[in-house]
Amino acid sequence: MGNPFNAEKKQTISLKQFKNQKVLILLSIPFIIYVIIFCYVPLGGWLMAFQNYKPKNGLLHSQFVGFDKFEFLFSNDQFLKVIRNTLAMGVINLVLGTVTAILFAILLSEFRFNRGKKLVQTISYLPHFLSWVIVTGIVFDVLSTENGIVNELLVNLHIIDKPFNFLADPKWFWWIVGFANVWKETGWNSIIYLAAITSISPDLYEAASIDGAGRLAKIWHITLPGIKPTFFILLIMNIGNVLNAGFEVQYLLGNGLVQSVSQTIDIYVLKYGISQADYSLGTAAGIFKSVVSLILIVIANQLAKKMGEEHLF
Amino acid sequence: MKKIKSIAALSLAFLMMAGMAGCANTSGGDGSDGNAAAGGEAGTTAAAGGDTGAASSGEIKEFTAFFAVPGNELNSDNRVQNAIAEKIGAKCKETWLTGQTAEEAIGVMIAGGEYTDFIVGSSGSTTLIDAGALIPIDQYWDNYPNVKNFYSEAEWNQIRNEDGHVYIIPQFGNVYMYDTGTIHNDEAFWIQTRVLEWAGYPKIETLDEYFDVIERYLEANPTMEDGTPNIGYEILTDDWRYFCLENAPFFLDGYPNDGCCIVDETTHQAIDYNTTPTAKRYFQKLNEEYKKGIIDPETFTLNYDQYIAKLSSGRVCGMVDQHWNFQDAENAIKQQGLDNCTYVPVGVVIDKGIEERYHSESALDATGGIGITVSCDDVEGAMKFLNDLLDPEILTLRNWGQEGVDYLVDENGLFYRNEEMRKNAVDQAYLNANMCPYSYFPNYEGMNHDGINACNANNQPSEFFEALPEPVKKCFEAYGVQTYTQMLNPSKENSPWFPMWSYSNAFTTETPWGLAKVNMDEVKHEYLPKVVISEDFETAWNEYLTVYNDRCDTEAYLNALTEEVQRRIAIAEGN
Repeated sequence: MGNPFNAEKKQTISLKQFKNQKVLILLSIPFIIYVIIFCYVPLGGWLMAFQNYKPKNGLLHSQFVGFDKFEFLFSNDQFLKVIRNTLAMGVINLVLGTVTAILFAILLSEFRFNRGKKLVQTISYLPHFLSWVIVTGIVFDVLSTENGIVNELLVNLHIIDKPFNFLADPKWFWWIVGFANVWKETGWNSIIYLAAITSISPDLYEAASIDGAGRLAKIWHITLPGIKPTFFILLIMNIGNVLNAGFEVQYLLGNGLVQSVSQTIDIYVLKYGISQADYSLGTAAGIFKSVVSLILIVIANQLAKKMGEEHLF
Repeated sequence: MKKIKSIAALSLAFLMMAGMAGCANTSGGDGSDGNAAAGGEAGTTAAAGGDTGAASSGEIKEFTAFFAVPGNELNSDNRVQNAIAEKIGAKCKETWLTGQTAEEAIGVMIAGGEYTDFIVGSSGSTTLIDAGALIPIDQYWDNYPNVKNFYSEAEWNQIRNEDGHVYIIPQFGNVYMYDTGTIHNDEAFWIQTRVLEWAGYPKIETLDEYFDVIERYLEANPTMEDGTPNIGYEILTDDWRYFCLENAPFFLDGYPNDGCCIVDETTHQAIDYNTTPTAKRYFQKLNEEYKKGIIDPETFTLNYDQYIAKLSSGRVCGMVDQHWNFQDAENAIKQQGLDNCTYVPVGVVIDKGIEERYHSESALDATGGIGITVSCDDVEGAMKFLNDLLDPEILTLRNWGQEGVDYLVDENGLFYRNEEMRKNAVDQAYLNANMCPYSYFPNYEGMNHDGINACNANNQPSEFFEALPEPVKKCFEAYGVQTYTQMLNPSKENSPWFPMWSYSNAFTTETPWGLAKVNMDEVKHEYLPKVVISEDFETAWNEYLTVYNDRCDTEAYLNALTEEVQRRIAIAEGN
């Protein structure tokens, strides 16, 4: 299989090649400018993390305080808790999200009737377009102790004898977030795997059938290896996103009782950076998050490279 | 062929760059244009300063305002708003806080550096002033007597910032002539009239009595008429609104709403109300009631909307809350005709003999109010707008509506309403489409400027009584009172330091006491609900105390408050 992401050997571009690709290079200029303006220029704001930033004085006239803000962050128990929450929910989301998406894609691809398949696929990715406000509303209703379907079911099956308030128990919070994510994103995440499965050559399946492979054997020996490159690329990209465990869902579902497990780095930034007007502290927390994400993505990439799998750079 | 392609690509690239540059250009241009226009207009409006007559140009100016408090957005073709605009030549598009805290909303605005023309920062007011977002109003007010004379010189001095300028105009608590207060808009233990009626209108003085009545009522009436189960008691703990759980202890001890602490009347020391014996007894009571199933098992996971929805259904017998916080629910209850499910306040204390002080006289909150931002292009126009809104004629329009449509006038000049007008006045949809109180702009309380009527219908004694739901009238008769405020003790004169929350609202995390407050809020927000729902109260309470004492520097916090108490006393004594 071709490997568009891999440029193992350093290539030098000759003048001729440069001339040939002139059009492409010209076309890319606006996007480079776009990236500089919107992705790199704002990085200048990182200066704030090393200052005692006051909006009145602006970036240029605020007092520099070195690493004070970072010191405060790492001596703050709350922040350490927040990192733990973010990592935990990020990993749960990553694992649950990937597993369910692959399972769902395989199930769908094994579907015999084309029309039904399309219908199921369409319905399954519709929740992706709902806002979290609506999804958390649904979660509230489903888990409600008054007529919530989960509690009704558990009570009628005599598993519990009176309704249980899942949202009030810190033990359940991460999993509620995880499954809310699964409900919302499984269909959407499976699209890319479905596409990968479709691109596997039918010859392989035919050959396997002739060799006497059953359905499960075909899934195990052909489908899964066939989507492995896709899996690794997505894994690397998603690992970089682990610390983006979410903001809305935790913000909307959280309450006082579970706040020690529900707050993520983003919520912390909002709380201290914006609400308490300590923009420097918020920026410091944001920098920390970016740096960790970058490290994670590099580690994942190196590991994939070592294992001889698909990798980004 | 190739050439054409490359030319096409080049021109495309060029176009995109031009597009970007264009954006930058136009925005720059806008700024300068805006300034020029503002300068021009400033000239004309200054000349017309103080003139509240019809709009001179015939064109209606439109201002924008953001209020960092929850509120109802008016329809864009609001009838009274248009009537006011016709008279004064300006209107204001108001937006309110939705789904955020005041600090978040204000923090985001400051970070972006763009504001609406008018702004009410609520608990973010100090941040706004510190960020240089507001213009000094006192530099402009000479042409606008209604604004300048809204407060006395002494009162303005309280409002002045450290640099000597006035940046905000506190909108509330300015009583014209005398207070006609009929409604208790603040915090109390509320109870439905149907519960009181069923119990034969008992005298409820203590927390135990309060819960006893609710318990007995629930036992006798587990469901409403239509079969929906009744809920005994609801506690809102959504974000900043968790005061419904945590601040009752100082009321139970007979102190007024200083918000952040108790102030000892004799020693003038600030006292922490979170760990007092009364606090423990209060939470123990809640714990008992929770175990008995009187308190809604879902209560601590409800957000504000869900809470309002539950109250609106009329199922909830009682709660502690600020009246303004559940007013929407009360309107909804009235609209459904569930009149016996509306609430009256009761002044509950922990032990008999303690004098409750739930109702306080309006106090000037010198740290909160409306300001004009640096983003406003037409400061003179904005000042004129504020000035015009305080004109007696416009005040009547804001507070009462249009004569003949929203109220009628009898031969003595007394305003009254007919049945339909009263019904409209509790219909939120109707209000949004028709009434325009500009509720967070400066307004007078007490009497109307005609000296005959009250400032608005709710405060007009005759009108107020007529509009009361039948069960509330019966309830008032049984207790021998005429108004909601009379259900509670009459307010005493405010202490010179009252209210202390106007000081603690301005805390930031940079100070040890500010940090202490954030930590206190965080600990209380997590552990107090835990205490209430715990199986074993003593263990949970001790855990709360341990964490609380461990994480919160209450000493720094109380010292700062005590110092402010002393400072305010010194100011009041004129030193």
